[in-house]
Amino acid sequence: MAEQTQGAVPLSAVIADAATGVALALRGEGGPYALSGILRHNDALTPAAVRVLGADALAPYAMEHRGAPVGPEDEAVVRQALAAYPPGADASEVSRWTYRGLVEASHAFLPAGAQPWPAPPEAATGWVDSTPWPKLSHRVSQLAALALPKLAPGLAEQLTARTDDLSRGFVRAVRRRDWLQAAGLGRWLARLPDVAPTLGLDSGLAFVRQMGGADPRVALHVVAAQRFYGRGW
Amino acid sequence: MTVTAASPALLHAVGDRALTWLDNHREHFRLTAGDLADNVAVTERLKPIGELALNMQVLFREGVAGSRQKARAGQLLDFAWRELLDGGNVLARLQQDEPLSPVPVEVYATFHELGHRHPGLEATLEVCRRTATWATLEMVPNRRLGVLNAERKLGLPPSSDFDQAMARTWLGQLAEPWTVQLHIAYDITHTVFHLTNWGEAPERIPPAVADYLTRYLPAWLEDWADLEHWDLLGELLVVDACLPRPALDAELWERYAAAQSPEGAMPIHQQMPRGDAAQVFDQVHHPTLVAAFASAMATSRAMSAV
Repeated sequence: MAEQTQGAVPLSAVIADAATGVALALRGEGGPYALSGILRHNDALTPAAVRVLGADALAPYAMEHRGAPVGPEDEAVVRQALAAYPPGADASEVSRWTYRGLVEASHAFLPAGAQPWPAPPEAATGWVDSTPWPKLSHRVSQLAALALPKLAPGLAEQLTARTDDLSRGFVRAVRRRDWLQAAGLGRWLARLPDVAPTLGLDSGLAFVRQMGGADPRVALHVVAAQRFYGRGW
Repeated sequence: MTVTAASPALLHAVGDRALTWLDNHREHFRLTAGDLADNVAVTERLKPIGELALNMQVLFREGVAGSRQKARAGQLLDFAWRELLDGGNVLARLQQDEPLSPVPVEVYATFHELGHRHPGLEATLEVCRRTATWATLEMVPNRRLGVLNAERKLGLPPSSDFDQAMARTWLGQLAEPWTVQLHIAYDITHTVFHLTNWGEAPERIPPAVADYLTRYLPAWLEDWADLEHWDLLGELLVVDACLPRPALDAELWERYAAAQSPEGAMPIHQQMPRGDAAQVFDQVHHPTLVAAFASAMATSRAMSAV
Protein backbone atom coordinates (compact mmCIF):
# COMPACT_ATOMS: atom_id res chain seq x y z
CA MET A 1 0.00 0.00 0.00
CA ALA A 2 1.29 3.44 -0.89
CA GLU A 3 1.98 5.26 2.31
CA GLN A 4 0.70 8.79 2.55
CA THR A 5 2.29 11.12 5.00
CA GLN A 6 1.10 14.23 6.65
CA GLY A 7 3.74 15.96 8.61
CA ALA A 8 5.74 13.37 10.51
CA VAL A 9 2.92 10.87 11.00
CA PRO A 10 2.68 8.14 8.34
CA LEU A 11 -0.55 6.29 7.71
CA SER A 12 0.91 3.09 9.17
CA ALA A 13 1.40 4.85 12.51
CA VAL A 14 -2.16 6.14 12.47
CA ILE A 15 -3.42 2.62 11.75
CA ALA A 16 -1.21 1.16 14.47
CA ASP A 17 -2.50 3.65 17.04
CA ALA A 18 -6.09 2.99 16.03
CA ALA A 19 -5.56 -0.78 16.19
CA THR A 20 -4.11 -0.36 19.67
CA GLY A 21 -7.18 1.64 20.68
CA VAL A 22 -9.55 -1.02 19.33
CA ALA A 23 -7.62 -3.82 21.03
CA LEU A 24 -7.66 -1.96 24.36
CA ALA A 25 -11.40 -1.49 24.07
CA LEU A 26 -11.92 -5.17 23.27
CA ARG A 27 -9.93 -6.02 26.39
CA GLY A 28 -12.23 -3.72 28.36
CA GLU A 29 -9.43 -1.27 29.13
CA GLY A 30 -8.97 2.39 28.39
CA GLY A 31 -12.46 3.70 29.06
CA PRO A 32 -15.56 3.65 26.85
CA TYR A 33 -14.77 3.28 23.17
CA ALA A 34 -15.52 6.03 20.68
CA LEU A 35 -14.30 5.66 17.12
CA SER A 36 -13.95 9.40 16.81
CA GLY A 37 -11.75 9.30 19.88
CA ILE A 38 -9.08 7.20 18.17
CA LEU A 39 -9.56 8.54 14.63
CA ARG A 40 -10.58 12.16 14.46
CA HIS A 41 -13.17 13.19 11.95
CA ASN A 42 -11.15 16.13 10.70
CA ASP A 43 -7.88 14.22 10.26
CA ALA A 44 -6.99 13.79 6.59
CA LEU A 45 -5.70 10.25 7.17
CA THR A 46 -8.79 9.03 9.00
CA PRO A 47 -10.74 7.75 5.97
CA ALA A 48 -7.71 5.77 4.75
CA ALA A 49 -7.15 4.32 8.23
CA VAL A 50 -10.79 3.29 8.54
CA ARG A 51 -10.59 1.75 5.09
CA VAL A 52 -7.65 -0.41 6.19
CA LEU A 53 -9.17 -1.40 9.54
CA GLY A 54 -12.54 -2.12 7.89
CA ALA A 55 -15.08 -3.63 10.25
CA ASP A 56 -12.52 -3.61 13.06
CA ALA A 57 -13.01 0.14 13.42
CA LEU A 58 -16.44 -0.79 14.79
CA ALA A 59 -15.50 -4.03 16.56
CA PRO A 60 -15.86 -2.62 20.10
CA TYR A 61 -19.47 -1.68 19.28
CA ALA A 62 -20.15 -5.39 18.77
CA MET A 63 -19.53 -6.06 22.46
CA GLU A 64 -22.58 -6.51 24.61
CA HIS A 65 -21.57 -4.10 27.36
CA ARG A 66 -19.74 -1.38 25.56
CA GLY A 67 -20.78 1.49 27.82
CA ALA A 68 -20.86 4.66 25.77
CA PRO A 69 -23.48 5.23 23.08
CA VAL A 70 -22.44 5.88 19.50
CA GLY A 71 -22.32 9.59 18.83
CA PRO A 72 -22.76 11.66 15.68
CA GLU A 73 -18.99 12.19 15.41
CA ASP A 74 -18.40 8.43 15.33
CA GLU A 75 -21.04 7.98 12.70
CA ALA A 76 -19.54 10.79 10.63
CA VAL A 77 -16.14 9.07 10.60
CA VAL A 78 -17.73 5.93 9.16
CA ARG A 79 -19.81 7.78 6.58
CA GLN A 80 -16.78 9.74 5.45
CA ALA A 81 -14.72 6.57 4.95
CA LEU A 82 -17.54 4.82 3.11
CA ALA A 83 -17.94 7.81 0.81
CA ALA A 84 -14.21 8.15 0.17
CA TYR A 85 -13.43 4.61 -0.94
CA PRO A 86 -16.29 2.82 -2.67
CA PRO A 87 -14.79 -0.21 -4.44
CA GLY A 88 -14.43 0.30 -8.18
CA ALA A 89 -15.28 -2.24 -10.85
CA ASP A 90 -11.68 -3.48 -10.85
CA ALA A 91 -11.33 -3.65 -7.06
CA SER A 92 -9.64 -6.76 -5.65
CA GLU A 93 -11.68 -9.29 -3.69
CA VAL A 94 -9.93 -8.16 -0.54
CA SER A 95 -10.83 -4.49 -1.08
CA ARG A 96 -14.39 -5.34 -1.98
CA TRP A 97 -14.88 -7.59 1.03
CA THR A 98 -13.17 -5.20 3.41
CA TYR A 99 -15.46 -2.41 2.31
CA ARG A 100 -18.45 -4.68 2.53
CA GLY A 101 -17.35 -5.65 6.03
CA LEU A 102 -17.43 -2.02 7.13
CA VAL A 103 -20.90 -1.57 5.63
CA GLU A 104 -22.15 -4.77 7.28
CA ALA A 105 -20.66 -3.70 10.60
CA SER A 106 -22.41 -0.33 10.33
CA HIS A 107 -25.73 -2.09 9.84
CA ALA A 108 -25.06 -4.59 12.60
CA PHE A 109 -23.41 -2.52 15.33
CA LEU A 110 -24.45 1.11 14.80
CA PRO A 111 -27.92 2.51 15.38
CA ALA A 112 -29.99 3.26 12.30
CA GLY A 113 -29.92 7.05 12.22
CA ALA A 114 -32.00 9.45 10.22
CA GLN A 115 -29.93 8.59 7.20
CA PRO A 116 -29.81 4.89 6.25
CA TRP A 117 -26.48 3.09 5.80
CA PRO A 118 -25.66 2.17 2.19
CA ALA A 119 -26.52 -1.34 1.00
CA PRO A 120 -23.57 -3.77 1.17
CA PRO A 121 -21.94 -4.06 -2.27
CA GLU A 122 -21.94 -7.42 -4.00
CA ALA A 123 -18.85 -9.49 -3.19
CA ALA A 124 -18.17 -12.83 -4.85
CA THR A 125 -17.33 -16.01 -2.96
CA GLY A 126 -16.39 -18.27 -5.88
CA TRP A 127 -12.72 -17.91 -5.03
CA VAL A 128 -13.24 -19.59 -1.66
CA ASP A 129 -13.77 -23.00 -3.27
CA SER A 130 -11.28 -22.66 -6.10
CA THR A 131 -8.19 -21.05 -4.58
CA PRO A 132 -5.29 -23.32 -3.50
CA TRP A 133 -4.72 -23.24 0.25
CA PRO A 134 -1.56 -21.09 0.39
CA LYS A 135 -3.18 -18.26 -1.57
CA LEU A 136 -6.52 -18.75 0.14
CA SER A 137 -4.84 -18.47 3.52
CA HIS A 138 -3.12 -15.26 2.60
CA ARG A 139 -6.35 -13.73 1.33
CA VAL A 140 -8.44 -14.83 4.28
CA SER A 141 -5.89 -13.42 6.71
CA GLN A 142 -6.31 -10.07 4.97
CA LEU A 143 -10.02 -10.35 5.70
CA ALA A 144 -9.53 -10.99 9.42
CA ALA A 145 -11.71 -7.99 10.34
CA LEU A 146 -14.71 -9.90 8.96
CA ALA A 147 -14.31 -12.49 11.70
CA LEU A 148 -16.80 -10.66 13.89
CA PRO A 149 -20.24 -11.77 15.10
CA LYS A 150 -23.04 -11.39 12.54
CA LEU A 151 -20.73 -10.34 9.70
CA ALA A 152 -20.37 -12.19 6.38
CA PRO A 153 -22.32 -15.31 7.40
CA GLY A 154 -22.19 -16.68 3.85
CA LEU A 155 -18.43 -16.29 3.68
CA ALA A 156 -18.05 -17.96 7.07
CA GLU A 157 -20.14 -20.89 5.92
CA GLN A 158 -18.05 -21.38 2.81
CA LEU A 159 -14.81 -21.06 4.75
CA THR A 160 -16.00 -23.79 7.10
CA ALA A 161 -15.49 -26.23 4.23
CA ARG A 162 -11.87 -25.02 3.97
CA THR A 163 -11.10 -25.27 7.70
CA ASP A 164 -8.28 -27.77 7.22
CA ASP A 165 -6.76 -25.64 4.47
CA LEU A 166 -6.82 -22.56 6.68
CA SER A 167 -5.25 -24.65 9.46
CA ARG A 168 -2.43 -25.49 7.04
CA GLY A 169 -2.07 -21.79 6.35
CA PHE A 170 -1.88 -21.08 10.08
CA VAL A 171 0.84 -23.72 10.51
CA ARG A 172 2.85 -22.32 7.63
CA ALA A 173 2.42 -18.70 8.75
CA VAL A 174 3.61 -19.44 12.30
CA ARG A 175 6.55 -21.43 10.93
CA ARG A 176 7.47 -18.48 8.75
CA ARG A 177 7.01 -16.08 11.63
CA ASP A 178 4.49 -14.18 9.52
CA TRP A 179 2.64 -13.10 12.64
CA LEU A 180 0.10 -10.88 10.92
CA GLN A 181 -1.02 -13.66 8.62
CA ALA A 182 -0.99 -16.16 11.47
CA ALA A 183 -3.07 -13.86 13.69
CA GLY A 184 -5.59 -13.18 10.93
CA LEU A 185 -5.99 -16.86 10.15
CA GLY A 186 -6.12 -17.79 13.82
CA ARG A 187 -8.91 -15.28 14.30
CA TRP A 188 -10.93 -16.76 11.46
CA LEU A 189 -10.29 -20.28 12.72
CA ALA A 190 -11.56 -19.16 16.11
CA ARG A 191 -14.87 -18.35 14.43
CA LEU A 192 -15.15 -21.62 12.45
CA PRO A 193 -16.84 -24.54 14.20
CA ASP A 194 -14.80 -27.53 13.03
CA VAL A 195 -11.18 -26.70 13.82
CA ALA A 196 -9.29 -29.88 14.71
CA PRO A 197 -8.18 -29.95 18.36
CA THR A 198 -4.74 -31.11 17.16
CA LEU A 199 -4.10 -27.65 15.69
CA GLY A 200 -3.68 -26.34 19.23
CA LEU A 201 -5.37 -23.09 18.28
CA ASP A 202 -5.56 -21.69 21.82
CA SER A 203 -1.84 -22.13 22.46
CA GLY A 204 -1.20 -21.00 18.91
CA LEU A 205 -3.00 -17.69 19.34
CA ALA A 206 -1.18 -17.07 22.63
CA PHE A 207 2.12 -17.91 20.94
CA VAL A 208 1.41 -15.53 18.05
CA ARG A 209 0.54 -12.73 20.48
CA GLN A 210 3.69 -13.39 22.51
CA MET A 211 6.01 -13.50 19.48
CA GLY A 212 4.34 -10.97 17.20
CA GLY A 213 2.16 -8.85 19.43
CA ALA A 214 4.43 -5.83 19.11
CA ASP A 215 2.48 -5.21 15.90
CA PRO A 216 -0.82 -3.70 17.13
CA ARG A 217 -2.75 -5.38 14.31
CA VAL A 218 -1.48 -8.79 15.43
CA ALA A 219 -2.53 -7.99 18.99
CA LEU A 220 -5.94 -6.81 17.76
CA HIS A 221 -6.64 -10.08 15.89
CA VAL A 222 -5.66 -12.19 18.88
CA VAL A 223 -7.75 -10.20 21.32
CA ALA A 224 -10.74 -10.29 18.92
CA ALA A 225 -10.46 -14.09 18.72
CA GLN A 226 -10.57 -14.22 22.49
CA ARG A 227 -13.26 -11.62 23.05
CA PHE A 228 -15.76 -12.84 20.47
CA TYR A 229 -15.01 -16.54 20.13
CA GLY A 230 -13.34 -17.44 23.41
CA ARG A 231 -10.22 -18.87 21.75
CA GLY A 232 -6.67 -18.26 22.90
CA TRP A 233 -5.61 -17.10 26.31
CA MET B 1 -9.45 -28.26 -3.67
CA THR B 2 -7.57 -31.37 -4.70
CA VAL B 3 -3.99 -31.24 -5.88
CA THR B 4 -2.80 -32.72 -9.17
CA ALA B 5 -0.78 -35.90 -8.73
CA ALA B 6 2.60 -36.26 -10.39
CA SER B 7 2.90 -38.70 -13.28
CA PRO B 8 4.55 -42.07 -12.57
CA ALA B 9 7.15 -41.18 -15.23
CA LEU B 10 8.27 -38.08 -13.32
CA LEU B 11 8.31 -39.95 -10.00
CA HIS B 12 10.28 -42.83 -11.45
CA ALA B 13 12.85 -40.64 -13.24
CA VAL B 14 14.00 -39.05 -9.95
CA GLY B 15 14.86 -42.45 -8.50
CA ASP B 16 16.41 -43.77 -11.68
CA ARG B 17 18.80 -40.82 -11.83
CA ALA B 18 19.57 -41.10 -8.10
CA LEU B 19 20.39 -44.79 -8.40
CA THR B 20 22.68 -44.11 -11.36
CA TRP B 21 24.58 -41.56 -9.30
CA LEU B 22 24.79 -43.86 -6.26
CA ASP B 23 26.09 -46.71 -8.39
CA ASN B 24 28.63 -44.47 -10.11
CA HIS B 25 29.90 -43.30 -6.74
CA ARG B 26 29.77 -46.58 -4.86
CA GLU B 27 33.51 -46.60 -4.08
CA HIS B 28 32.90 -43.63 -1.81
CA PHE B 29 30.84 -45.82 0.53
CA ARG B 30 33.95 -47.90 1.28
CA LEU B 31 35.51 -47.78 4.74
CA THR B 32 39.18 -46.88 4.62
CA ALA B 33 41.84 -48.58 6.73
CA GLY B 34 41.81 -45.42 8.86
CA ASP B 35 38.05 -45.67 9.35
CA LEU B 36 38.32 -49.33 10.39
CA ALA B 37 40.78 -48.49 13.15
CA ASP B 38 38.31 -46.16 14.86
CA ASN B 39 34.87 -47.31 16.01
CA VAL B 40 33.47 -43.79 15.92
CA ALA B 41 34.43 -43.59 12.25
CA VAL B 42 33.04 -47.07 11.58
CA THR B 43 29.70 -46.11 13.14
CA GLU B 44 29.63 -42.98 11.02
CA ARG B 45 30.42 -44.84 7.80
CA LEU B 46 27.93 -47.61 8.52
CA LYS B 47 25.02 -45.19 8.44
CA PRO B 48 25.15 -44.57 4.67
CA ILE B 49 25.79 -48.26 4.01
CA GLY B 50 22.72 -49.20 6.01
CA GLU B 51 20.72 -46.58 4.16
CA LEU B 52 22.01 -47.82 0.82
CA ALA B 53 20.88 -51.34 1.65
CA LEU B 54 17.50 -50.12 2.82
CA ASN B 55 16.99 -48.27 -0.41
CA MET B 56 17.85 -51.20 -2.61
CA GLN B 57 15.52 -53.32 -0.56
CA VAL B 58 12.71 -50.83 -1.02
CA LEU B 59 13.29 -50.90 -4.77
CA PHE B 60 12.97 -54.70 -4.86
CA ARG B 61 10.00 -54.73 -2.53
CA GLU B 62 7.98 -52.11 -4.33
CA GLY B 63 8.59 -53.80 -7.67
CA VAL B 64 8.90 -50.50 -9.47
CA ALA B 65 12.41 -50.99 -10.85
CA GLY B 66 12.94 -51.83 -14.49
CA SER B 67 15.19 -54.79 -15.30
CA ARG B 68 18.28 -52.62 -15.73
CA GLN B 69 17.59 -50.77 -12.49
CA LYS B 70 16.93 -54.03 -10.69
CA ALA B 71 20.23 -55.53 -11.84
CA ARG B 72 22.02 -52.41 -10.73
CA ALA B 73 20.37 -52.50 -7.29
CA GLY B 74 21.26 -56.19 -6.89
CA GLN B 75 24.88 -55.55 -7.71
CA LEU B 76 25.02 -52.65 -5.29
CA LEU B 77 23.63 -54.81 -2.50
CA ASP B 78 26.15 -57.57 -3.14
CA PHE B 79 28.87 -54.98 -3.20
CA ALA B 80 27.66 -53.56 0.11
CA TRP B 81 27.50 -56.92 1.91
CA ARG B 82 30.59 -58.55 0.49
CA GLU B 83 32.97 -55.69 -0.01
CA LEU B 84 31.87 -52.87 2.26
CA LEU B 85 30.87 -55.06 5.22
CA ASP B 86 33.17 -58.02 4.53
CA GLY B 87 30.24 -60.42 4.73
CA GLY B 88 29.07 -58.90 8.00
CA ASN B 89 32.46 -59.06 9.74
CA VAL B 90 32.67 -55.28 9.97
CA LEU B 91 29.36 -55.28 11.86
CA ALA B 92 30.39 -58.17 14.10
CA ARG B 93 33.67 -56.47 15.00
CA LEU B 94 31.91 -53.26 16.00
CA GLN B 95 29.43 -55.28 18.03
CA GLN B 96 32.30 -57.10 19.74
CA ASP B 97 33.75 -53.77 20.83
CA GLU B 98 30.39 -52.13 21.66
CA PRO B 99 27.99 -54.96 22.46
CA LEU B 100 25.14 -52.67 23.49
CA SER B 101 25.29 -50.41 20.46
CA PRO B 102 22.13 -50.75 18.37
CA VAL B 103 23.99 -49.69 15.21
CA PRO B 104 25.29 -53.09 14.05
CA VAL B 105 21.87 -54.65 14.67
CA GLU B 106 20.02 -51.94 12.77
CA VAL B 107 22.28 -52.28 9.73
CA TYR B 108 22.35 -56.06 9.92
CA ALA B 109 18.55 -56.31 10.10
CA THR B 110 18.19 -55.06 6.54
CA PHE B 111 20.73 -57.53 5.17
CA HIS B 112 19.11 -60.28 7.18
CA GLU B 113 15.78 -59.54 5.55
CA LEU B 114 17.54 -59.81 2.22
CA GLY B 115 18.78 -63.27 3.10
CA HIS B 116 22.31 -62.61 4.36
CA ARG B 117 23.43 -64.21 7.65
CA HIS B 118 26.22 -63.74 10.19
CA PRO B 119 25.78 -66.35 12.96
CA GLY B 120 28.43 -64.83 15.22
CA LEU B 121 26.68 -61.50 15.27
CA GLU B 122 23.35 -63.15 15.98
CA ALA B 123 24.83 -65.13 18.89
CA THR B 124 26.21 -61.98 20.53
CA LEU B 125 22.94 -60.21 19.97
CA GLU B 126 21.05 -63.04 21.66
CA VAL B 127 23.15 -62.64 24.80
CA CYS B 128 22.86 -58.86 24.86
CA ARG B 129 19.12 -58.90 24.29
CA ARG B 130 18.61 -60.95 27.45
CA THR B 131 20.01 -58.20 29.63
CA ALA B 132 17.74 -55.66 31.28
CA THR B 133 19.98 -52.92 29.99
CA TRP B 134 19.12 -53.68 26.33
CA ALA B 135 15.51 -52.58 26.77
CA THR B 136 16.29 -49.70 29.09
CA LEU B 137 19.12 -48.00 27.21
CA GLU B 138 18.21 -44.34 27.09
CA MET B 139 17.57 -43.05 23.61
CA VAL B 140 15.18 -40.66 21.92
CA PRO B 141 11.73 -42.22 21.43
CA ASN B 142 11.86 -42.56 17.65
CA ARG B 143 15.24 -44.26 17.87
CA ARG B 144 13.67 -46.81 20.23
CA LEU B 145 11.14 -47.52 17.48
CA GLY B 146 14.10 -48.07 15.14
CA VAL B 147 15.57 -50.71 17.45
CA LEU B 148 12.20 -52.41 17.83
CA ASN B 149 11.75 -52.39 14.07
CA ALA B 150 15.20 -53.94 13.61
CA GLU B 151 14.20 -56.73 16.02
CA ARG B 152 11.02 -57.23 14.06
CA LYS B 153 13.02 -57.50 10.83
CA LEU B 154 15.21 -60.12 12.49
CA GLY B 155 12.15 -62.11 13.53
CA LEU B 156 12.93 -61.61 17.23
CA PRO B 157 10.37 -60.94 19.95
CA PRO B 158 10.28 -57.21 20.72
CA SER B 159 12.43 -56.09 23.64
CA SER B 160 9.73 -53.58 24.67
CA ASP B 161 6.19 -52.63 23.71
CA PHE B 162 5.95 -51.09 20.25
CA ASP B 163 2.73 -49.15 20.85
CA GLN B 164 4.06 -47.64 24.05
CA ALA B 165 7.25 -46.65 22.25
CA MET B 166 5.17 -45.05 19.50
CA ALA B 167 3.07 -43.17 22.05
CA ARG B 168 6.22 -41.63 23.49
CA THR B 169 7.31 -40.07 20.19
CA TRP B 170 6.54 -36.49 19.23
CA LEU B 171 4.29 -37.73 16.45
CA GLY B 172 2.56 -40.18 18.75
CA GLN B 173 1.61 -37.24 20.96
CA LEU B 174 0.17 -35.26 18.00
CA ALA B 175 1.74 -32.08 19.34
CA GLU B 176 1.06 -28.65 17.84
CA PRO B 177 1.88 -28.78 14.12
CA TRP B 178 2.95 -25.12 14.03
CA THR B 179 5.86 -25.85 16.39
CA VAL B 180 7.53 -28.17 13.89
CA GLN B 181 11.07 -27.08 13.06
CA LEU B 182 13.85 -28.95 11.29
CA HIS B 183 14.69 -31.43 14.06
CA ILE B 184 11.08 -32.17 14.93
CA ALA B 185 10.38 -32.72 11.24
CA TYR B 186 13.13 -35.37 11.08
CA ASP B 187 11.73 -36.96 14.25
CA ILE B 188 8.39 -37.19 12.48
CA THR B 189 9.77 -38.72 9.28
CA HIS B 190 11.83 -41.27 11.19
CA THR B 191 8.91 -42.25 13.36
CA VAL B 192 6.95 -42.99 10.18
CA PHE B 193 9.89 -44.89 8.65
CA HIS B 194 10.33 -47.18 11.68
CA LEU B 195 6.61 -47.57 12.26
CA THR B 196 5.99 -48.71 8.69
CA ASN B 197 9.29 -50.57 8.26
CA TRP B 198 10.43 -48.03 5.68
CA GLY B 199 7.12 -47.84 3.90
CA GLU B 200 6.48 -51.58 3.72
CA ALA B 201 3.43 -51.49 5.99
CA PRO B 202 1.77 -48.05 5.77
CA GLU B 203 -1.32 -49.51 7.44
CA ARG B 204 0.61 -49.61 10.72
CA ILE B 205 0.20 -45.84 11.01
CA PRO B 206 -2.61 -45.46 13.58
CA PRO B 207 -5.70 -43.73 12.11
CA ALA B 208 -5.39 -40.68 14.36
CA VAL B 209 -1.78 -40.22 13.27
CA ALA B 210 -2.68 -40.67 9.60
CA ASP B 211 -5.42 -38.04 9.98
CA TYR B 212 -3.00 -35.69 11.65
CA LEU B 213 -0.41 -36.13 8.90
CA THR B 214 -3.00 -35.78 6.14
CA ARG B 215 -4.11 -32.51 7.68
CA TYR B 216 -0.75 -30.86 8.37
CA LEU B 217 1.86 -32.50 6.12
CA PRO B 218 0.95 -30.23 3.16
CA ALA B 219 1.93 -27.18 5.22
CA TRP B 220 5.35 -28.63 6.04
CA LEU B 221 5.93 -29.84 2.49
CA GLU B 222 5.13 -26.44 1.06
CA ASP B 223 7.31 -24.64 3.54
CA TRP B 224 10.41 -26.80 3.16
CA ALA B 225 10.02 -26.76 -0.62
CA ASP B 226 10.05 -22.96 -0.45
CA LEU B 227 13.13 -23.14 1.78
CA GLU B 228 14.66 -25.54 -0.79
CA HIS B 229 15.58 -28.05 1.90
CA TRP B 230 15.64 -31.02 -0.47
CA ASP B 231 16.82 -33.59 2.06
CA LEU B 232 13.91 -32.98 4.41
CA LEU B 233 11.47 -32.43 1.53
CA GLY B 234 12.39 -35.89 0.20
CA GLU B 235 11.75 -37.49 3.60
CA LEU B 236 8.42 -35.68 3.88
CA LEU B 237 7.50 -36.92 0.39
CA VAL B 238 8.11 -40.47 1.66
CA VAL B 239 5.70 -39.77 4.52
CA ASP B 240 3.14 -38.55 2.00
CA ALA B 241 3.55 -41.79 0.04
CA CYS B 242 2.85 -43.75 3.26
CA LEU B 243 -0.53 -42.08 3.86
CA PRO B 244 -3.85 -43.77 3.07
CA ARG B 245 -4.46 -41.25 0.26
CA PRO B 246 -1.09 -39.85 -0.81
CA ALA B 247 -1.18 -36.48 -2.58
CA LEU B 248 1.97 -37.08 -4.73
CA ASP B 249 1.67 -33.35 -5.45
CA ALA B 250 2.89 -32.74 -9.03
CA GLU B 251 3.99 -29.21 -8.34
CA LEU B 252 6.17 -30.26 -5.37
CA TRP B 253 7.64 -33.21 -7.24
CA GLU B 254 8.53 -31.00 -10.19
CA ARG B 255 10.42 -28.64 -7.89
CA TYR B 256 12.10 -31.59 -6.20
CA ALA B 257 13.12 -33.15 -9.53
CA ALA B 258 14.44 -29.81 -10.78
CA ALA B 259 16.81 -29.62 -7.80
CA GLN B 260 18.56 -32.84 -8.82
CA SER B 261 21.94 -32.46 -10.54
CA PRO B 262 22.27 -33.67 -14.14
CA GLU B 263 24.27 -36.66 -12.79
CA GLY B 264 21.46 -37.59 -10.41
CA ALA B 265 22.71 -36.29 -7.06
CA MET B 266 20.30 -34.39 -4.81
CA PRO B 267 21.70 -31.45 -2.84
CA ILE B 268 20.80 -31.20 0.86
CA HIS B 269 19.84 -27.56 0.71
CA GLN B 270 19.52 -25.21 -2.25
CA GLN B 271 22.38 -25.92 -4.72
CA MET B 272 24.91 -28.71 -5.17
CA PRO B 273 27.96 -28.15 -2.96
CA ARG B 274 31.42 -27.63 -4.43
CA GLY B 275 34.57 -29.48 -3.47
CA ASP B 276 36.43 -32.67 -4.31
CA ALA B 277 34.48 -35.82 -5.11
CA ALA B 278 34.78 -37.28 -1.59
CA GLN B 279 33.60 -34.08 0.09
CA VAL B 280 30.67 -33.75 -2.28
CA PHE B 281 29.78 -37.40 -1.70
CA ASP B 282 29.76 -36.93 2.08
CA GLN B 283 27.31 -34.06 1.71
CA VAL B 284 24.93 -35.41 -0.89
CA HIS B 285 24.78 -39.18 -0.43
CA HIS B 286 21.98 -38.89 2.14
CA PRO B 287 19.62 -36.65 0.14
CA THR B 288 20.33 -38.76 -2.94
CA LEU B 289 19.45 -41.97 -1.08
CA VAL B 290 16.31 -40.25 0.15
CA ALA B 291 15.47 -39.31 -3.44
CA ALA B 292 15.71 -42.95 -4.49
CA PHE B 293 13.54 -43.96 -1.52
CA ALA B 294 10.90 -41.29 -2.11
CA SER B 295 10.79 -42.09 -5.79
CA ALA B 296 10.30 -45.84 -5.24
CA MET B 297 7.53 -45.28 -2.69
CA ALA B 298 5.73 -42.61 -4.72
CA THR B 299 6.02 -44.51 -8.01
CA SER B 300 4.62 -47.60 -6.36
CA ARG B 301 1.66 -45.67 -4.92
CA ALA B 302 1.03 -43.85 -8.21
CA MET B 303 1.02 -47.12 -10.12
CA SER B 304 -1.24 -48.91 -7.67
CA ALA B 305 -3.68 -45.99 -7.98
CA VAL B 306 -3.84 -46.28 -11.80
